[in-house]
Amino acid sequence: MIRFGPGNLRIPRFEKPVYVVAGGVTDFRKRYPEKNTCQLCMEALRMAVEENDLKVEPEEFRRMVNWVVYSQFADHFGDQLLAAAKIHDYLGFDPLGNIEVKTGGATGGSAVLAAAQAVASGYATCVPVVGWERMDEVSTRVGNSYIASAACKDFESELGWMYAAYYALMAQRYQYENNVPHETLAKIAVKNHLYAYYSPFSQNPGKYTVEDVLKNDIVSDPLTFLECCVMSVGAAVLILADEETAARLTDQPIRLKAICGGSHTLRTADRRHMPILLPHETEEMYKEYFRGRRTEWPGFSSFLASRMAAYLAYNMAGIRNPLEDFDLLETHDAFTISDVQTYEDIGLRPYGRGREFIESGDAYYEGRLPTNLSGGLIGTMHAVGATGIWQMVEILWQLQGKYDKFHGDPKMWERYGKKKPADWRSLQVKNARRGCAISHAGTGSHVTCAILEKP
Amino acid sequence: MDWPTTCLEVLNEDPLVVKNPKNWYHSHTYGGWGRFFKGLRECKLLATRCTNPACAEKRLWLPPRADCPDCWHPMEWVEAPQVGRIYTHSVVTYPGELFKLPPGTPLISVEIEGVCTKLMSWLKEGKPEFGMKVKAVFNTKRPTNTILDLAWVPA
Repeated sequence: MIRFGPGNLRIPRFEKPVYVVAGGVTDFRKRYPEKNTCQLCMEALRMAVEENDLKVEPEEFRRMVNWVVYSQFADHFGDQLLAAAKIHDYLGFDPLGNIEVKTGGATGGSAVLAAAQAVASGYATCVPVVGWERMDEVSTRVGNSYIASAACKDFESELGWMYAAYYALMAQRYQYENNVPHETLAKIAVKNHLYAYYSPFSQNPGKYTVEDVLKNDIVSDPLTFLECCVMSVGAAVLILADEETAARLTDQPIRLKAICGGSHTLRTADRRHMPILLPHETEEMYKEYFRGRRTEWPGFSSFLASRMAAYLAYNMAGIRNPLEDFDLLETHDAFTISDVQTYEDIGLRPYGRGREFIESGDAYYEGRLPTNLSGGLIGTMHAVGATGIWQMVEILWQLQGKYDKFHGDPKMWERYGKKKPADWRSLQVKNARRGCAISHAGTGSHVTCAILEKP
Repeated sequence: MDWPTTCLEVLNEDPLVVKNPKNWYHSHTYGGWGRFFKGLRECKLLATRCTNPACAEKRLWLPPRADCPDCWHPMEWVEAPQVGRIYTHSVVTYPGELFKLPPGTPLISVEIEGVCTKLMSWLKEGKPEFGMKVKAVFNTKRPTNTILDLAWVPA
């Protein structure tokens, strides 16, 4: 497809409202031999049902569930096909129906989308979404090779067997066209490592300086280690329900106003541009883009999948301007540069000006649109199948005013063998009403955009 | 019956972690685009173009596709120009397992006149720069039978 037909840009609709009622996670580690995958999923589910102020006992909750969605990126990593069946049994949900969703790095977002479709259509009324990844059974080098087998094995995987390299090619082109100082990119890494410092769940927290990031070893030029996401083990659970069930379960239901998906070619080579304007954009804005020489947007160095998902979700949820309408945002910051590209795709700045979102201070806590207060994929976790789910768990807690409850309780830190830092600070967004989460796969092969809102 | 003789080596006793070795191969099926890889052995850069006269796009695709994504008609093989320009580049310092070239190999995406893609490849000689003219070279001596049999050098 290169030209859109009338049906292609139809705005999705839920027949029934969909709510998010509870979330749970494990902590995230590079290696986690103490617990197998079934146990990690149980731990996340237990947190969701026992620690989210639900109004029913866990046993009663179990009797309300009528569909389950599972989320794992790579069977390679877990070395267990149909792991979902094993986990479904372990969680005590047999003989209920279930499905496992797979869309690469966006698997978590897509799993929530599948669960929302079930609730919105009336197929189900109470749906846990369970995601995990176990990436510690192979070396990091082999792990990177496994991840790169989610590139085109015929024409692209061989060129590096390393996803950072495929991103780096887009990044370099983006840099050639837009010339973002490396310092700006480093600021994203510094921000997300710092926010991870306040999270008991985080794998790679740290108080780094821009200089630390710039001096760090390069993985694939221009990206340094501190600018790349972590490889994690862990699990996350989000519980979706219809209106009636949500009211029975919690006094603080959060509405899932929209969740929509977009796609673009798995091969970065094959990216063709297909312009889509967001509600607050005009064609006029792009007349001078790349000194008037670039009419092809979003193209090779953008994520059309993100633009498509945002276009659908913004229109579905009635978002007029994301900077004004959202109170917080979780992006899929697999790499610093891909974060800047995403800022443009989802309309925080026009194409070519993404850097301003960081440089202006907008992206920071107490800025206009605090982004990745969770610590993101760079600082906290990327246990791939859990990632998109965990992003929404963090937004749920923020909208419920529970950031401190889950991040600030010293007992939560002790649970994972950690000590709460003496200089811990709360990243609770005051009066947060609406949050957005972007779940992202490949070099932009699948993207979902979710909008959560306090009713 | 006796106990099995193959044992899994204990990597860690507590918590228990054992080593599960795997040693087999996949038969990688190129199918409809096998012709492209065989073409590389003959120094040919084969792309495909849609045969449908009514197709709105009729783009030249490289990587080739057997079928047109714009109208779903079969495509025909066409030789692509063997010169292009570097659209983007990056040096991969820490490649993943299975990478057949040394760390530090410059990866490039090549823009070729008339081709609607930016073919991912590698630069065999020289230092990559944006817009640099390059020409295709082919590994005919000892083909790897992968996309690495195509590379580029400054033109």
